[in-house]
Amino acid sequence: MTGMSKELLGLSLAEAARRVKTREVSPVELVTATLERIEAINPKLSAYISVYGEQARQVAHAAETMAAAGHDLGPLHGIPLALKDNIALRGLTTTAGSRILADWKPDQDATVAARLRQAGAIFVGKTNMHEFAWGGTSDNPHYGTVRNPWDVERFPAGSSGGSGAAVAARACYGAIGIDTGGSIRLPSAINGIAGIRPTYGRVSNHGIIPLAWSMDTAGPMARTVEDCAIVFSAIAGHDPKDSSTSRAAVSDYVSGLRLGAEGLRIGIVPDYFFAHLQPPVLKAVRDALDSFVSLGARLVEVDIENIQGNISAQLTIESAEPSTYHQRWLRERPDDYGEDVRSLLEIGEMLLATHYLQAQRYRSLLRQEFLDAFRQVDFFVCPTLPFTATRIGELKVVIENGLEEDMLSAIMQFTGVPSLTGLPSLNVPCGFDDDGLPIGMQLIGRPFDEATLFRAGAAFQGASDFHLQEPDL
Amino acid sequence: MTSRKPIDAPSVRALAEYAGLALAPGREAVLAPTLDAWVADAEALSLKMSAPEHWTLAPATIFNHPVDEAGER
Repeated sequence: MTGMSKELLGLSLAEAARRVKTREVSPVELVTATLERIEAINPKLSAYISVYGEQARQVAHAAETMAAAGHDLGPLHGIPLALKDNIALRGLTTTAGSRILADWKPDQDATVAARLRQAGAIFVGKTNMHEFAWGGTSDNPHYGTVRNPWDVERFPAGSSGGSGAAVAARACYGAIGIDTGGSIRLPSAINGIAGIRPTYGRVSNHGIIPLAWSMDTAGPMARTVEDCAIVFSAIAGHDPKDSSTSRAAVSDYVSGLRLGAEGLRIGIVPDYFFAHLQPPVLKAVRDALDSFVSLGARLVEVDIENIQGNISAQLTIESAEPSTYHQRWLRERPDDYGEDVRSLLEIGEMLLATHYLQAQRYRSLLRQEFLDAFRQVDFFVCPTLPFTATRIGELKVVIENGLEEDMLSAIMQFTGVPSLTGLPSLNVPCGFDDDGLPIGMQLIGRPFDEATLFRAGAAFQGASDFHLQEPDL
Repeated sequence: MTSRKPIDAPSVRALAEYAGLALAPGREAVLAPTLDAWVADAEALSLKMSAPEHWTLAPATIFNHPVDEAGER
């Protein structure tokens, strides 16, 4: 990698966009550097399933011509981005990380992709993922095991593991992930980047291959909170093609980034959010809370009476809905699934309708308890997950007392809460463990109040440097 | 809700037949432990949600997003 490329890849998305606008940097330079980086890291990380080298270069030249002619395509003019491979791009293979859709070429863009194009983004490729997004390891039997750039023997989490690894490895300036039970936030935390799961209904799911309809959301993953806010501004809003999207006005997510944390009230649920954690995770999140206090925020202890039970509800819903979507394929092509996804889909067929509906009733209960709590607080803080990256292939995890636990249940200890309640949540890097593996905290906000999460996350990043660290690949 | 026997391979086979799902040989034993654990937790949640104080709760299958929801803050 040339010195020039290294400098370009070190820029945040916000800074790269600023330099494109001032014509200090050209889209061609950004795309060229990114494609070179992908070529260098992808054999090690398997972060990308498809790379659009020639197409991206052509678009970059067009973007450069437009910039030279004085045309501003938007806030993402000339910025190389990646999409998780369950997001449709017209005429380009969209596999969802599966063999079943290995040759599927959609006839139209997903709405998030179309909006990013309108904002000037250039797609450099599609990222690897857990097969059909049903799992948290991104250990994909069809397109390779995604590896963590901080330690290639560790997992990148998932299901948007390729997006997380690509962003952390500086192999794109940002990526779009899809989050059902934690699939944006988990790989963001494990790879040391920012990533937001929006309020359910804030971003269109049109053109995205579903996992669980009632919980799927699309959101940005990027190096900084500011970068996420910029991308989020481009994709948020009502979509007539997705009836679950809200008509509520879209906020200005960028202008509030400099407001700081002074006066913000942070909710904590001590008996749940700070129990059952690996010690470095506990310390990092507690230190982060101290930072918020030093920035002028106030901690408020809150009791969410019925928070216990959320993991079961999450697993029940996240099993039953995919098994419904996959019902036909599971009967016609069972051997085309990886072993773990096949098992989960089979199990989902055997849960009772009453289990599913009681879980959905529980969502109403949990959501109301959080909405009540938001009278006292502006957002909640908790760890994003209770442990740091495990070794690739492990299906059990040790959190405390040497006790092995099922990975799938353990990994959703905290991310299931926003998924069930439909609340927005932002992962922000907040530390490293003794092995140099990233730790993330999760900020959970009111419905449609992503702006406060971005504000708080940016304030924290203004006072910390965890997001500035780079993996040594 | 609390007195069922553990889910084992024969019960998985029966459930699969009921669902019209032809399991490959040996898969019953693979699925049984996880299904048993998940159903036990689901039963505990069902018990909680069957308590009188929750009788009025409706399932939240899809959240609605009227404009005033965002404006209530």
